[in-house]
Amino acid sequence: MMSTTASHGRVMMLPSPSRALQNQQPLIGSDMFRLKQTEPRGSRLVVAATAKYKGTKMREEKLSEMIVEKVKEATEVCEADVRSEGCKVAWDEVEEVSQARADLRIKLKLLNQDPLESFCQENPETDECRIYED
Amino acid sequence: MAVSTIYSTQALNSTHFLTSSPSSSSKQVIFYRRQTNRRFNTIITCAAQQTVVIGLAADSGCGKSTFMRRLTSVFGGAAEPPKGGNPDSNTLISDMTTVICLDDYHSLDRTGRKEKGVTALDPRANDFDLMYEQVKALKSGIAVEKPIYNHVTGLLDAPELIQPPKILVIEGLHPMFDERVRDLLDFSIYLDISNEVKFAWKIQRDMAERGHSLESIKASIEARKPDFDAFIDPQKQYADAVIEVLPTQLIPDDNEGKVLRVRLIMKEGVKYFSPVYLFDEGSTISWIPCGRKLTCSYPGIKFNYQPDSYFDNEVSVVEMDGQFDRLDELIYVESHLSNLSTKFYGEVTQQMLKHADFPGSNNGTGLFQTIVGLKIRDLYEQLIANKANAPTEASKA
Repeated sequence: MMSTTASHGRVMMLPSPSRALQNQQPLIGSDMFRLKQTEPRGSRLVVAATAKYKGTKMREEKLSEMIVEKVKEATEVCEADVRSEGCKVAWDEVEEVSQARADLRIKLKLLNQDPLESFCQENPETDECRIYED
Repeated sequence: MAVSTIYSTQALNSTHFLTSSPSSSSKQVIFYRRQTNRRFNTIITCAAQQTVVIGLAADSGCGKSTFMRRLTSVFGGAAEPPKGGNPDSNTLISDMTTVICLDDYHSLDRTGRKEKGVTALDPRANDFDLMYEQVKALKSGIAVEKPIYNHVTGLLDAPELIQPPKILVIEGLHPMFDERVRDLLDFSIYLDISNEVKFAWKIQRDMAERGHSLESIKASIEARKPDFDAFIDPQKQYADAVIEVLPTQLIPDDNEGKVLRVRLIMKEGVKYFSPVYLFDEGSTISWIPCGRKLTCSYPGIKFNYQPDSYFDNEVSVVEMDGQFDRLDELIYVESHLSNLSTKFYGEVTQQMLKHADFPGSNNGTGLFQTIVGLKIRDLYEQLIANKANAPTEASKA
């Protein structure tokens, strides 16, 4: 059972550690097949993590916009002189915001919760912590 | 490493108090009990706070790094951002470990770098003096107010308080750049991604963004390459372990970058670190586990092990090309590797299963990151055991 991830290609879908593993007995190949077959296909629950708070949604949008702007800027600056300092700094900025955008996406996915969760527990009245509704 | 602290002991009998001697090289705890006629004191010498410092050089941002999550998971507990502080903090904290992002030591924010014409890769954009002072302080058991570099705004935010942890990981572009910081590291790792794999990963990362195209992704990598080669890449000669990620050799003309060849290059002679080996330490082995006992699907799995030389250092290299498709392949491989520093049979497999949804869980990146995590645990336990053997003495006044 395979699924794709955003960054590094195929990811192995595996059943959770069996009783056998927990007893720390050596396992043989056929045991593994039995383990795998007891897990019905499609049983793994994948929760799509999306932004819960307005602040996170705003950050997502802002970063995506910045990528558009900065790619445009870098393309222009480098057209003039591809070896200039301005050119390499412009593309470095593109890299920085692209990574920040990806980090936010991954945080949402790996944490399976909004990164602002603990901040918003303490400060529920701020604008950032309004619940985002589509 | 002398730290002077005075503790009051309300919890104990109020006639007792403790002080530690500032002049000794290890912490001494002196109990005083005030009595009407005489002072009674006992001197107990204990080992100073031992913070183990690990450096990780990687060009993949901070905090989200799956390597960090695998590492902190080996020690137990999930690493989370500090609660209630700046929501854009890059720091991760778990029970045993604190992970600091070295971008926090940028001396120039995004505007400043633009004005000066330097990238974040350039040492001129980073405050190595502050990095050294703070890592040294944390290593000695002193809390620090560490700046925060906000990757969203590109500004330097107000600092956050970092308490000295048992294990401090400094992660970023320049952990081994400054010699003073290098000397503070108990273990260092360099994640070396080849250009083809970097390109494939960045395509996967960025293609969904409407601002990006194949051209922009390529141009960004090319533009950063000179600074990367000049400032970041040379650090790998100092690393105790290098994880090199290359395209597979099992599929001819593969350009998808999905199947990977990963090499774990381990320096020989590093204190408390015994390299992993296959079958016979110091020999050269080529191993394809797929055959009669184990059936693998295309393209299979291939292992190599050999002694080698890397930047004038003696090293041992374990290499895995291919992918795990099933659990039994993983456990079969684990059972044939030696010096894994596991606490029980199947621990590597169990750790990999715990994070089966992380990238790299089906290939050498996840496998070697997990193994390095276990090696660091082993190093930490040996270091602590060593310090605990410091002499204890008691005397009556």
